[in-house]
Amino acid sequence: MLVTKPLAELCALLIDELHGELPSRIFAMLLTKGRSTVPQLAQYTSMTPRQIRHGLAVLHQHNLLYYHVDASSDLAFYEANPENAYNLIRTGKILEMVETSFGAPAKDVVQSLLLSGQTRISDLVAAYKEKIDHATKEAAANGEEADWAAETNGINGDAPSTNKAGPVVKSTAHLNSILCRLVEAELIEVVHSTTFESPQDVQKIVEKEVMDKFFPAGVKGNKAKIEFQEKMAEGLRKVRAESKSLKRKLEQQGSGIKRRKLMENLAMAVTNGNHEEDLDPVLDPRQVIRINYEKCLVDLRNRRLVQFATDMYGETTAYVYGVLLKLLTKDLPRCRQDPLADVSEDKHDAEKPFLVTTDLILDNLKTSVDLSLGIGKAERRQVSRSVAERVEPYPPARRTFLDEAEVEGEASADEDEEDDESSEGSEEDEEDYKPVANGEANGVNGTNGARVKFAGAGGAAKEPRRLDRPTQLRQHLLLLCESTQHFVRHCGPDEWTVDFPALLRSLRETELDTVIERKCGRQGLRLARILRSKGKLEEKALPNVALMRKPELQQKMLEMQSAGFVWVQEVPRDLKADVKKSFFLWFCDVERSLGQMLANSYTTMVHCMQVLEALRYKERDVLETTKRTDVRGREKDAMRKEYYERYSRYLDCERKLFAQMMRLDDLVSVLRDF
Amino acid sequence: MATDNAADDSAKLKILKDALYEEMRQHGSETRLFTQRDLLDLNIVPNQNVMLLVRVVQGLCDDKLLVGTTNHHAGLAWRWRSREEAKKYTSLPNDETVMVYSIIDEAGADGIWNRTIKNKLNMHEAVVKNCIKYLESKGYIASMKNVEHPNKKMYIKATLRPSERATGGPWFTEGELDTAFIQELEGIVFEYIKTKSAYRGTQPQSSVSSGAPVKAPKKGTILGSDPASRGVKRSATEISTDDGTPAPSSRTAAGSGASKSRAVYLPMPAGYKHYPTVAEIAKFIHDTGITNNTTLSQADIQQLVDVLTYDGLVEPVYSSASGSNGRRRVRGYRVTRAMKQDTVPFHKRQKEREAGVGLDKPPVVGAEPLTNGLTEAPCGRCPVFELCEEGGPVSPSKCVYFLEWLDLEDSAAAAVPPARAAAAISVELPP
Ligand code: SF4
Repeated sequence: MLVTKPLAELCALLIDELHGELPSRIFAMLLTKGRSTVPQLAQYTSMTPRQIRHGLAVLHQHNLLYYHVDASSDLAFYEANPENAYNLIRTGKILEMVETSFGAPAKDVVQSLLLSGQTRISDLVAAYKEKIDHATKEAAANGEEADWAAETNGINGDAPSTNKAGPVVKSTAHLNSILCRLVEAELIEVVHSTTFESPQDVQKIVEKEVMDKFFPAGVKGNKAKIEFQEKMAEGLRKVRAESKSLKRKLEQQGSGIKRRKLMENLAMAVTNGNHEEDLDPVLDPRQVIRINYEKCLVDLRNRRLVQFATDMYGETTAYVYGVLLKLLTKDLPRCRQDPLADVSEDKHDAEKPFLVTTDLILDNLKTSVDLSLGIGKAERRQVSRSVAERVEPYPPARRTFLDEAEVEGEASADEDEEDDESSEGSEEDEEDYKPVANGEANGVNGTNGARVKFAGAGGAAKEPRRLDRPTQLRQHLLLLCESTQHFVRHCGPDEWTVDFPALLRSLRETELDTVIERKCGRQGLRLARILRSKGKLEEKALPNVALMRKPELQQKMLEMQSAGFVWVQEVPRDLKADVKKSFFLWFCDVERSLGQMLANSYTTMVHCMQVLEALRYKERDVLETTKRTDVRGREKDAMRKEYYERYSRYLDCERKLFAQMMRLDDLVSVLRDF
Repeated sequence: MATDNAADDSAKLKILKDALYEEMRQHGSETRLFTQRDLLDLNIVPNQNVMLLVRVVQGLCDDKLLVGTTNHHAGLAWRWRSREEAKKYTSLPNDETVMVYSIIDEAGADGIWNRTIKNKLNMHEAVVKNCIKYLESKGYIASMKNVEHPNKKMYIKATLRPSERATGGPWFTEGELDTAFIQELEGIVFEYIKTKSAYRGTQPQSSVSSGAPVKAPKKGTILGSDPASRGVKRSATEISTDDGTPAPSSRTAAGSGASKSRAVYLPMPAGYKHYPTVAEIAKFIHDTGITNNTTLSQADIQQLVDVLTYDGLVEPVYSSASGSNGRRRVRGYRVTRAMKQDTVPFHKRQKEREAGVGLDKPPVVGAEPLTNGLTEAPCGRCPVFELCEEGGPVSPSKCVYFLEWLDLEDSAAAAVPPARAAAAISVELPP
């Protein structure tokens, strides 16, 4: 990750916010100076080595550091881990995501893990045991109230009330079961010997190993080079797999997983899962665990994509999409493939195709969802089945940004359409009918028969026809396939997959368009998209395409240029390069604009933090009051009205600013991580 | 004898001239070029007498009834000119005026720039000016505007209408791009596409947005450990998604029984074949007769639709249709983000606009623009973003945009001065 100035500033501010100033200063110094030893750091910061060690310990605890011990000199070199520092901002989102998919108790566990950084399982268990004991004593006093409250919690999953309503995690066995599930989902990983080596160091270590073991004489020739790459990838994957050791162990023991799968389908939040927690093996208490951000990002990406689908289509379609994504990415360890480690994984992919079937989606849809919503009705003969059901076995080739969809239709559709059409013949109704029958191959006999009669008799149905659920589901999926954004690809009959790179490209482009439209208006957006689809254009050619007046257009272009959305290139007409005679070509470089947008997002986040800082300073007297032990927890009663109002207004602002930062993080994630 | 002969000769010539002129008019329009061969073949001049023909043609040229040109395949050739036109020429006072008029005449419907006249004729500017003035006063020529060169003074024969190239086509009125007309038409085209490419249905309104409990303020010690803080700023259109958790488990679209339904546009099922094409749109526009005195070709409509596409309001969809000559691919257009479209009918919106409501919205309504973190935060649209830095002339801690955004505008003034605040604390302190 390239660490720019605003990003460095942001990381330091985030650490300051969560872990205090000392670690923040050390972290900032590590970012500017690169890898350093303790004495060096002491020198840079003019702090005592003791302070430095203390700060480093905090950073290390929270996975914000890499370190490398040099075998020859016995010196430890420390390096900043900006990815994880940035990830601090995602804390809230990750918690929320865990809660919606695993329930409140799991969220509580993850929260503890996030608060305490990497933790030994035994410590975590001990901490919870204490909490639980404490709560049961209270509960004994209050009768069964606590129990009852915990239950409601599980249902509405409302976080704020969790703390006072007794322990969400009921027993150490419950905790163990939660941990097992999180480990299986890869949201928790094991800390091991190479965890804290920086990626470069890991690469070096693996490289050395591979060289020593397989190529003692050096890598010579093309064949050896390829082999070397494969060995490297293998080695890197092995290192990566180490952090999944717990999961592997669980899988070998093969215990609750299968049983739980059933449960999962019934409800994703089996919060009071007394039923099966005894089945889970007890996790090795000596293992140290932490949150696996990479996998969290996969889930966060799913959520963002569902949001995207909601924006483009509607909730019902997006819901179907969410289920599809969840099933599809269950075993996907990370959003982006590592260019080094994942080179030869293609073979591996071939064995286990990356797709979901219609039936599987159907099995996972909630019964309460009405799939007839969200899609318009059309008579059967108004719809061409052959076009809608077109199967596209290969992912789209990379094309230019805007016209992707258009070009594609032209390129790929032509041939297969030919044979499609010839088979379609004159009796369209009949042809239309066949795939429907296929789609329903999995039963639903009664309704099926009835519907056939209806269609046969009525011919052109004036009344809306009632579709059965699998057909409705397919309609949503096909709709997503037809999108220009590449939401879904119909990769085989009743098999669906997602081409993430293409989809994210269009999502990124949409984000860019949003910003352009906000800043330069619809006409600005129009001009940018014209340039994107036509390439470089001379200024004279633009008014005619954009149907805009020349002076306005020129002004818009300048506005867009200074905002970094378009650029101009001067092409001299002859050797003399007379400026007056030169052509001026406008063009639009999407990657560059996106890069700039990313930088702007960081800066804006920094500004949010700084505004908050200023706000805190302004309200420092109020905030100080709330820190007093006699006020804390009962602010409303203990503070004077005017003070309390100021306090609650401050909290509103704080919330708003944090929310804004998370919205910005949504953007950063799309631009950088997904 | 000689004079007699001469008079006889000229009379004969006159007859021949008239005959040739009339015959040429019979054989083609004013733009047809006649070569010498063509003229001889008209059989007016007896015995294929070339010498005589030359004299006749010369005479006609002198009368301005014929115009000689050199055509690159045929060589020297002539075309005829109407008698009124010729009269205009002969009535001109001097050669310069004739030359100026003829060069303007030649430029035809595209018109000609006065500087070009001067350069081509190699005349003094004052002379050209005089000639133009004279011709304009006689009503023979008129000045015109060319959209491609709006600053050039151009002239055209008064009897001609400026060419399409010069006027810029149907989108221009008096040399200016008629943006009001274009926008209005865009609105109509968009509405047509919208209603034809999406299904108007109803959707139960989920009740998520109602009755968010008022929560007592609490400490936000961990960044956003508080789920309520997410998605504070979202566009109002996303009524039912404002909890920001589109995770599968959180939504029951038809769950709540007490939900009301609202009108929405719904996307058509995949493979829909009847998305409107440009031809259909053009026909619709023609049939409505809104463009009463301008005729719009399909290409013109395509231009409009393209603009809507670039604006991100509509998108092309390809489908196939059967026609007389077998299957072919058809490009139709559909509205983007159908569910987010305005469902109020066009004519109602128009009435509203007339009444002055919603004038701040663009005439082509479209869906509410998407938003993201950058567009919502003040910084995303801040004019001094580049300069803003802690310790600089503009800084976040002194930012007025943020104060406004946080609804704290007045609080800056109303903030309790530190001295009084200290007093307040001391009052509150327990004894
Ligand atoms: S002045 Fe305010 S709105 Fe502008 S960039 Fe700075 S903090 Fe953002």
